[in-house]
Amino acid sequence: MSQDLLWVEKYRPKKIAEVVGNEGAKTAFIDWFKNKRRTKKAVLLYGPPGVGKTTLVNAAANEFGFKVIEMNASDTRSEKAINAIAGPATSFVALDTFSSDAKGSVLFLDEVDGIAGNEDRGGVSAIIKIVENARVPIIMAANDPDLDKLRPLKKVCTLVRFQQVRIPLIIATLQRICQKENVKADFEALEQIAQNSRGDVRSAINDLQSLAERAKTLTLQDTMGLTYRNRDIGMDETLTTYFSAKSLQDASTVLSRSGVDYDDLLMAVGDNLPLRYQDPAALAKAYDFVSRADIYRGRIGVENWGLLRYFYNNLAQAGSVQPETYKPFKFIAPPIRIITLFWTKGKRTTLENICAKIGKRCHVSRKTAKEDFIPYIKLLMERQKANAVIAWLELSPEEIEFLQKINKF
Amino acid sequence: MTANEEAVMWVEKYRPKTLDEVVDLKDIVESLKSFMRNPKTMPHLLLAGIPGTGKTTVALCIAHELFGQNWKTFTLELNASDERGIDTVRDRVKDFSRYSRAAFGNVPFALIILDECDQMTGPAQTALRRIMETSSRTSRFILICNQSGKIIEPIQSRCAIFRFSKLDRKAMIDQLCCIAGKEHVKLEPTAAERIVDYAEGDLRHAINTLQTAASYRDGIVDENTASLVTNEASPVQVQNMIKKALYDNFVDARKIMYDLMGSYGFSGSDIIRQMQRELFKMSILTPEQKADLSDIIGEYDYRLTQGANSDIQLSALLAQFAKVGKASGDTS
Repeated sequence: MSQDLLWVEKYRPKKIAEVVGNEGAKTAFIDWFKNKRRTKKAVLLYGPPGVGKTTLVNAAANEFGFKVIEMNASDTRSEKAINAIAGPATSFVALDTFSSDAKGSVLFLDEVDGIAGNEDRGGVSAIIKIVENARVPIIMAANDPDLDKLRPLKKVCTLVRFQQVRIPLIIATLQRICQKENVKADFEALEQIAQNSRGDVRSAINDLQSLAERAKTLTLQDTMGLTYRNRDIGMDETLTTYFSAKSLQDASTVLSRSGVDYDDLLMAVGDNLPLRYQDPAALAKAYDFVSRADIYRGRIGVENWGLLRYFYNNLAQAGSVQPETYKPFKFIAPPIRIITLFWTKGKRTTLENICAKIGKRCHVSRKTAKEDFIPYIKLLMERQKANAVIAWLELSPEEIEFLQKINKF
Repeated sequence: MTANEEAVMWVEKYRPKTLDEVVDLKDIVESLKSFMRNPKTMPHLLLAGIPGTGKTTVALCIAHELFGQNWKTFTLELNASDERGIDTVRDRVKDFSRYSRAAFGNVPFALIILDECDQMTGPAQTALRRIMETSSRTSRFILICNQSGKIIEPIQSRCAIFRFSKLDRKAMIDQLCCIAGKEHVKLEPTAAERIVDYAEGDLRHAINTLQTAASYRDGIVDENTASLVTNEASPVQVQNMIKKALYDNFVDARKIMYDLMGSYGFSGSDIIRQMQRELFKMSILTPEQKADLSDIIGEYDYRLTQGANSDIQLSALLAQFAKVGKASGDTS
């Protein structure tokens, strides 16, 4: 019976007009979809979960008579896999075009931000290649397009941004469903569900269904049991909850719920600890745990994933060293290390080149050159006595300028 | 030789060209000279000892004595710290060692000098071991390292081992005076003492200090200038980082740490090694404090080898320093 169906599926819009909210994004997407001479062959829909990205794609394809070939995060999306499935589908005009009503196919890559670094090696570059050669429209959807690995994708795509669906629209949707399912619900109850969903229509409908299973009339009282959804929580929310944890248990819980990659998490916690703990003893203790977590990260390497729980245990300890001292603070983001290393990469190359020249002349390694020669050469330069040395080392003007500017270590 | 080729760094300019010029290594030099009388009898050599004690110099002297002016033609000089992988051994070393140089007349074999061998990876050393054996008719190896313990045993057993210890104070002072004389620099005895104290048996350091100091006041190096240079040339940033962590501000200390990694490309273990060295030079700390802090450094040096992120381990180390600094500030 229809009772067994999830309401989110049962009431998933079949037509574009039925998709709630995000009118601007809808128009932009449909314009792209209908435009035969589109400048970019691919579109990237991005925004928080549950706002109708997947739904809109299916509804649009349905309305315009296209067949959707979908690959989502449950499929392996390495270069090979993507080429195997998506390649043929996009480079040939499907036979169906002639034999059925379908006007053709669209390739829909859902959850592209879920393309994993290791398992799906080469995935992003494969997508870009396919986009370049594609004869059919390619649609992608993602939650967070700012990820490093997706950056190349943004260049070849038209970007369409989805936002959280406004609360009144969610309430209206819930009311419509209640009517059809014969559920009597107080406005306040639906409002609470909608608010709790934070603009995520899908989770609101799921919550409504699970509450309605228990009682056919819903009051505000009934919704009190709702907790925030165990959705993958992002970096900011993870850190906020983690650093304000009242106990080890709290810190553990948020880490286990967090969707943030453990390496990113480790880095972010390491960066932000000194803002969290002012007392040096507490800070030292917390850093000791982070250090241990890092040791487990080292031992995990690429295979001993069983050790991940010890990693998380130690990280949780670091967040709950002094629960009573928590005061909100502004997080450091993005990671200090990435920033430092990114900005200084050119510098290091120049320095390595200089050291190689010294090494060749003085029979030492680059490292010895760096530690035992650079400080003296810098001093000689300050005294204007380094001209002969510079000429002998055959340093370029660029390298000389670099040496003048670099701080002593 | 063009003027440009003339060495201007004094360490290079006054690097001995013959074994006779080498200072303070009588025993080693005597044995090596006996090899030189009949080069065919020279075994592979392993020269081990702390930096700046003459290992590379001795190796280059041997090359000079064996091949004279053309030494570069018959010598492959590699620094294993720069090229430490197995590919270098397989490609460059193997190719160079394989062919006989008999056609060149008086050349008994090709010479391969591998500096900083203890930085070589295990597989590279294993590959080297075979090459040393198969090419012994055509080539000789001089391996140079700081710690012979890091060289695999099969290699050690194929070599005559020479250990270089800290250079004698007197010999170092003599050498500095000799260089100063040739450069027409008046080196005051107290200044020489000061430089040698600071160099801790590392002649390279001492000569670099001398040359820099000589640029301060033309023709004269007194104790003041010597102290000035030793201060300025020491890793001030590393000292700053330690002080900031101990007494001031952890976040600033960490910033310096990132700068050292970012701008200089120092690895975590480079920084830890420098911290260890600078720590013992810091006069504000009592010997007990130094011992305690040194113990902490040791712990994190080990963790560094186990962990995945050196910046995290170093941050944790600095946090431990901050804790110790705070505790000692509270009690005093």
